[in-house]
Amino acid sequence: MKKEHKHVKSNKKYGMVIDLDKCTGCGACMVSCMAENNVPFKADESNKLDSITWMRVYKLTNDKPYPDTEICYLPRPCQHCEGQHEGHSPCVSVCPATATDYSMETGIVSQIYTRCFGCRYCMAACPYHARYFNWWDPVWPEGMEESLNPDVSVRMRGIVEKCSFCFHRYQRAMEKAHFEDRHELEENEYQTACTQACPSGAITFGDLNNESHAVYKLKKNPNAFRLLERLGTNPKIYYVSSREWVRLAGDNYRPDEKMTAKHKPAKHAPAKQH
Amino acid sequence: MKIDRRSFLSLGIGAGAGIALTPLPWKLADDSSIWTQMWPWTPVPARGEATYVNSACSLCPGSCGISVRKIDERAVKIEGMEGHPVNDGGVCPIGIAGLQLLYGQTRVKTPLKRVGKRGEGKWQKISWDEAISEVSSNLAELRKSGNPQSLACISGSGRYGTVSGLFQRFMTAFGSPNFMSVPSFVDGYSMALKQMHGIDSIPGFDFENSDFILSFGSGIIDGWGAPVRMFKANANMKGKIVQIEPRLSNTAAKADKWIPIKPGTEAALALGLAHVIIKKSLYNKDFISKHSFGFDDMTGTDGKKVKGFKSLVMEKYTPASVARITDTSAEMIEELAVSFAKASSPLAVCGRGKGTAQGSLDEYIAVHALNALLGRVNTKGGVWAVEQPNYISWPYPDMDKIAEKGFASARIDGAGTDEFPLAGQLAHRFVNAVADAGRKEIPVEALLIEGANPLHQFSDTKAVKKAFSKIKFIASFSSYMDDSAQFADIILPNHCYLERYEDIPAPAGLQKPVIGISRPVVAPKYNTLHSGDAIIRIAKALGDKIESSFSWDSYEACLQATFREAWSKLDSVGFLINQKYGAPGWDQFETESKLFEFISSADGAKTGRDKDEIVNIADIEGKGDKKYNLTLISYDSIRLASGSVGNTPFMIKAVADTILKENDIFVEINPKTAKDAGVKEGAKAVLTTPKGSANVRVHLFEGIVPGVIAMPRGLGHTGDDKYLSGKGVNVHDLIGPVEDPASGLDAAWGIRAKLAKA
Amino acid sequence: MSTQDDKAEAVSGEAVESCKTCKDDGSGGVVFLFFIIGLMISLVFGWVVFPKILYSGKKQPFDFNHVVHNEVVDDGCESCHFFRDDGTYAGVPKLAQCVDCHEEVQGETEDEAIFVRDYVSKNREVPWLIYSKQPDCVFFSHVAHVKTAGMDCVTCHGDIGESTSLKVYEKNIITGYSRDIWGKNMIGLKKNTYDRMKMDDCAECHVKEGVKQSSVQTKKGACFVCHK
Repeated sequence: MKKEHKHVKSNKKYGMVIDLDKCTGCGACMVSCMAENNVPFKADESNKLDSITWMRVYKLTNDKPYPDTEICYLPRPCQHCEGQHEGHSPCVSVCPATATDYSMETGIVSQIYTRCFGCRYCMAACPYHARYFNWWDPVWPEGMEESLNPDVSVRMRGIVEKCSFCFHRYQRAMEKAHFEDRHELEENEYQTACTQACPSGAITFGDLNNESHAVYKLKKNPNAFRLLERLGTNPKIYYVSSREWVRLAGDNYRPDEKMTAKHKPAKHAPAKQH
Repeated sequence: MKIDRRSFLSLGIGAGAGIALTPLPWKLADDSSIWTQMWPWTPVPARGEATYVNSACSLCPGSCGISVRKIDERAVKIEGMEGHPVNDGGVCPIGIAGLQLLYGQTRVKTPLKRVGKRGEGKWQKISWDEAISEVSSNLAELRKSGNPQSLACISGSGRYGTVSGLFQRFMTAFGSPNFMSVPSFVDGYSMALKQMHGIDSIPGFDFENSDFILSFGSGIIDGWGAPVRMFKANANMKGKIVQIEPRLSNTAAKADKWIPIKPGTEAALALGLAHVIIKKSLYNKDFISKHSFGFDDMTGTDGKKVKGFKSLVMEKYTPASVARITDTSAEMIEELAVSFAKASSPLAVCGRGKGTAQGSLDEYIAVHALNALLGRVNTKGGVWAVEQPNYISWPYPDMDKIAEKGFASARIDGAGTDEFPLAGQLAHRFVNAVADAGRKEIPVEALLIEGANPLHQFSDTKAVKKAFSKIKFIASFSSYMDDSAQFADIILPNHCYLERYEDIPAPAGLQKPVIGISRPVVAPKYNTLHSGDAIIRIAKALGDKIESSFSWDSYEACLQATFREAWSKLDSVGFLINQKYGAPGWDQFETESKLFEFISSADGAKTGRDKDEIVNIADIEGKGDKKYNLTLISYDSIRLASGSVGNTPFMIKAVADTILKENDIFVEINPKTAKDAGVKEGAKAVLTTPKGSANVRVHLFEGIVPGVIAMPRGLGHTGDDKYLSGKGVNVHDLIGPVEDPASGLDAAWGIRAKLAKA
Repeated sequence: MSTQDDKAEAVSGEAVESCKTCKDDGSGGVVFLFFIIGLMISLVFGWVVFPKILYSGKKQPFDFNHVVHNEVVDDGCESCHFFRDDGTYAGVPKLAQCVDCHEEVQGETEDEAIFVRDYVSKNREVPWLIYSKQPDCVFFSHVAHVKTAGMDCVTCHGDIGESTSLKVYEKNIITGYSRDIWGKNMIGLKKNTYDRMKMDDCAECHVKEGVKQSSVQTKKGACFVCHK
């Protein structure tokens, strides 16, 4: 079935390169994402299992005793996995409701809230915990709904949501392009809220297939890696770290596990592109 | 014809068949599915025209330019303003979440008068006319009884700006010298600059042109100075950053090297480095010989020999002794000193965490002397004594006899008196003077609180509360129902910062003079009044000469008159900057010797300094008390707003679950310390200091010096909304001020403490 | 639908059959009569009464004559229903656009008098009911359709520009949306492109024109093309 689809030209593949050497863990990406995407909030958000954060910054440590301890922050949006063949991402392939979809045009994994019926199969399938379930109806205390962004629809109880690569910003940029009789976007015209917000410039966003975009080059950095690469999810978020333990943590090797030559970070080559 | 059961059955079947032949079931199915997709109680944000309004953020001393996206009249997103000299498009999480203050639940919507007991939360809504006359009649009493100096004011608005300027002017015209701003590391550093450079100035750090930053605990990426500028400087740093700090903060984690030291010994380490630099003759000879005073020994006018900086450092601060003091190694000190001195543009910075504590004068002197030793003052890539903003040129207020007499009386906090000649303000001394006063001699009868939240921000909150409860009349000008507003007698709510005009001068730590302007992004939502207008109206209501000192019709008129022809540029561009401003240079010292002074050439006795000591740092509270086997320090995080406003809902959401779990705050301790105390990860414990005790949870962290407990600052609010109130503990409840012997500043960086299993 | 109908008939047939076998006292006719009565009642209910219950007619704040306005503008629909510089579609005009001409009453209609009296002079926006309003989950780019694809307004909106008065807004009491979305025809049949504005109608055209048929799930249009 999927093969019939080959005629659609996969012309764009949006993705990110996040420089962990630059990330300071300030959380501007998280908050910018919440504000941009009408993410709800409740009185207690300290249980991170039910706290909806499309973008979440994890704190990693090298587990070495004082004073050799090191910390690294790792921002984790939806990885927009492409899977082993085009669009076979873990979540899209299991959704029984066609609520989550993979676009061959942009490489973005979409989530249509009104289509989702909340079975959470996708959450079980996602190895990155990038998907969140609305256990409660979102409540904006009186007056606070004023700051809601009309470009993003508000979700309701009982459905799953996740990072969309700020697709509405793509739509917004395309509207302007259409108005100006253009059909292609400049690199800076479509940037996600987290990319824009990062005060350290750690996040770079663009079309991984486009040679003129910064991400095209950055992803080829010998220190680039992706999360849980050996699962074959083929994610579109690349991380760069000059520290080996961080790169190792990215593939979550257990201490007792032997690394295969293929996965040894030292010889790590950027993943193949389609 | 018989109508039986079967007939009815048949009727039903017919009806069923018929319904299936109508659009009803299919249409209902479709409609109800649409209905379930769009619950009527799920808000649908209205669409409209998108526009951007440029303004400035005043949530911290960083003063970033912001660009607010609006849909019709709604503000929907705060972004960084491109091209702004402070943040050029960057933005921090606190700034982004600012709309939750504008539209949030904590806003005070109309003037309120207390009806219940203080802090009980029972309020009566009053009109602005009533509010102004309530305040002015209360204040008029003080003048009538001849005690105008018993009025005090705590201001949190940008120093040198028109709002704090108006309040200060009001105090002067009223007849009280007791005006103070919230404490900052700038207090201490400016004092050091006054002593060593001889000018009233503010410190500016040319990070962008430095290639080796040696930070003595400054949270370069934890919110120090102008946070976004610092994030950018850190990201673009071509050279090295070395962080000296007892805890592996984010700054330490990102630095090229983290040097954990015993807390509170930063000054000694700075002098240890100076020792090595002098010994190895790595200092800047040109600067030392031509532009400095007090490096070598000298003979005083009385013929006595006076030791110079060199001798003092060489005698007392050998690497070995400094290593002992700081719990580091002599090799490390030697190595660090050499690499620092050999860098082409080294720069040492200080001011712990976000720089919201005053600190000890000698620590600033020690670090600044280290910079001077390498000729890194007033030079490219170094630390500059930047001129204080002085664009306000209002005529001096008219004062009547009562005002003159009151204004001439000594400040309650002792700042500027013979005891503390260099100090501008000493908030902790103010608090203690009131808190410890007997019933009949309470020096403060009325207090105005503007843009500040002293009941949360000042250290030793118990004493602050005690002091406040002795003050008869407290008026708050807060936009939000914060900890201090809750404790006031009357609230005159200011517009939210996104609803008002306000000039914001001198972003903290910036080396270029910049004036930003906060512009109204949306029209005021509630029945609030600009605090500038409120104080003008109060002044007018008081009459006499106070009224004549406030001739402006409104705050906006005052603001425009202040900037004169520069106003239109400021309003349209969003900031004013002197692009030509460069390093002041080595001929800009206004000391008696017209040189940079390591040792004051003026009467040293004035500063209360022991002439044989360079640094004389007060011990923290509880030292020597065997009960307390640990040291509590506070730490700052950019994810915790710790100024006058606390975390908004989005910000609280971004706080890690190793800092806050439900309402419990976590303190960080080394696993070794935990083992000694018999506590495990996540365990509940009681943390006790000489100032009080608190229930906490324990988070084991290898990145902290054993024996030290670190608690985040910015939690433990009692005011505000359900998203913030009652969460965690305010570290200021546990740490009290310690008076710096040389300057009177609050030198506390921690306190002795103990931790017990709960 | 057909399978459902078959089932219904089969059920009724069975019922009649069972009557015949158990008793033959002439009540069969009565039973059949009742069947017909039931059938007729529900047909009448479903076709006549139900739409009346489902849709509640709402009147616009006052009437509007597109023809009269179309005559005095130069740019057709886009004179009032324009694109902003950022490419977004401004939709129904705001009061500010109308005030230029309608500061004072211009003509003699009562509707204009209402407009000036209740809205212009009070500076209140007119709460127009929008026939083509879609649920919030829908993203629709007017500019992509009008400028890039060169479509006419009529294709989706019909001859509204040639109307002299505003029709009654029939609000679906369950969904809250206008009847124009589902279409006037209760079983959803359409003769013209503008008779219906459901998702299938969008999809039909997108399939025909080959617009962004990039979905992995459906092999048709990707969800994020029209949803947000």
